[in-house]
Amino acid sequence: MIQINHVSKRFGELEAIKDVTFSVPKGSIYGLLGSNGAGKTTLMKMIAGIYKQDRGSITVDGEPIFENIKQKERLIFLPDALYFFPHTTIRQMADFYRHIYPKWNEKRFYEMKELFPIDINQKIHRMSKGMQRQVAFWLTFSTMPDVLVLDEPLDGLDAVMRQKVKNILFQDVADREMTVIISSHNLFEVEDLCDRIGILHNGSLIIEKELDNLKTNIHKVQVAFHGQPPSTFLQHLDVVYQERRGSVLLCIIRGEEEQISAHIHKYEPILFDLLSLTLEEIFIYELGERGYAIENILV
Amino acid sequence: MFDLDLRSRKPIYEQLIEKMKEMIIHGVLKPNEQLPSVRLLAKQLTINPNTIQKAYRELEREGYIYSIPGKGSFVDNKKEAVYSEKVKQLEENMLKLCQEAFYIGLKKEQIFSIVERAERAIRGGEEHDSN
Repeated sequence: MIQINHVSKRFGELEAIKDVTFSVPKGSIYGLLGSNGAGKTTLMKMIAGIYKQDRGSITVDGEPIFENIKQKERLIFLPDALYFFPHTTIRQMADFYRHIYPKWNEKRFYEMKELFPIDINQKIHRMSKGMQRQVAFWLTFSTMPDVLVLDEPLDGLDAVMRQKVKNILFQDVADREMTVIISSHNLFEVEDLCDRIGILHNGSLIIEKELDNLKTNIHKVQVAFHGQPPSTFLQHLDVVYQERRGSVLLCIIRGEEEQISAHIHKYEPILFDLLSLTLEEIFIYELGERGYAIENILV
Repeated sequence: MFDLDLRSRKPIYEQLIEKMKEMIIHGVLKPNEQLPSVRLLAKQLTINPNTIQKAYRELEREGYIYSIPGKGSFVDNKKEAVYSEKVKQLEENMLKLCQEAFYIGLKKEQIFSIVERAERAIRGGEEHDSN
């Protein structure tokens, strides 16, 4: 369990993180979303115990993480910009990791050679960016972390490799209840990866929810009637947005699917479609309601 | 076992529930048959195990499956839940077809005569069986 309680962080004039509170239960995969410069990396570095927060507290399993060797031994932070010692091979890097992380699993390291088709005696600096990222994942998974903090993790990996990495990640969550925090600006990527998401904007957390609840509680409805729609038609619905396209009325309605569809069927529409929203659409409408223009949130 | 459409708008959790229900209703999964474990399914489908867990919980709540601690989840033998879901699906399909029929100008009588023909076909089959 990771708990972030009223955390703030300032760099000189810049207030990078403003009073952020959320928690990540054990075995959960948490997606941290936001535009570039929203504060994702700063927040992750604090969760990894690299930066110290100015105010508030960050605990992993009840203990403050900053400078806490015992907790940091079971946590891995995979940063956006990877670092390997100059001129080292995969084997040499693995030896270093083995000495730092007590739960290092040599057997697993060798088993994973099948997944990552790279010669372990090759120098990491000679490899392509994508291959270096594969090495980073290989080493990370071999340390058997209980907490995994990933900053833009899948950038630079090809489709096959992404699928492999995701698969190991899910297995570790299923088998060992590993807790994962993933940052991304790619909504499609996060959509099938995470079970909870939080959106950072200008250093504040503006939405924090379980992904499925977010998705099952809002729907896109397309409906048409013979002639004009009855005037009372939308009265008892929580309509977020509506638009007429010719004779078809398009609405975004909050609520359970069954209730919405039962209500609308009473008016005997000649056309009725009810769709789930994509994560991207949810953001556009949810944030639009809060007065944020979407261009500021997503790139 | 089956595949999900990760590009679909439908949440994966709902897709999972629907697929499982379908397989139970059509008898692909038989009563008391063990369902694949959460970790196996997570591995096979590359899906978040928490999502699968949640889908299983919902299926259990609706009476489609039951779980034995330490052993796993199994298909429940509740005919009623399966039956009422089948009736619901049929009703929806028939409603759509009838609406379409009216739209292209069929008369009520014509639809009824189709119903009667269907009934005769089933009965005829029964008579044939008894012979």
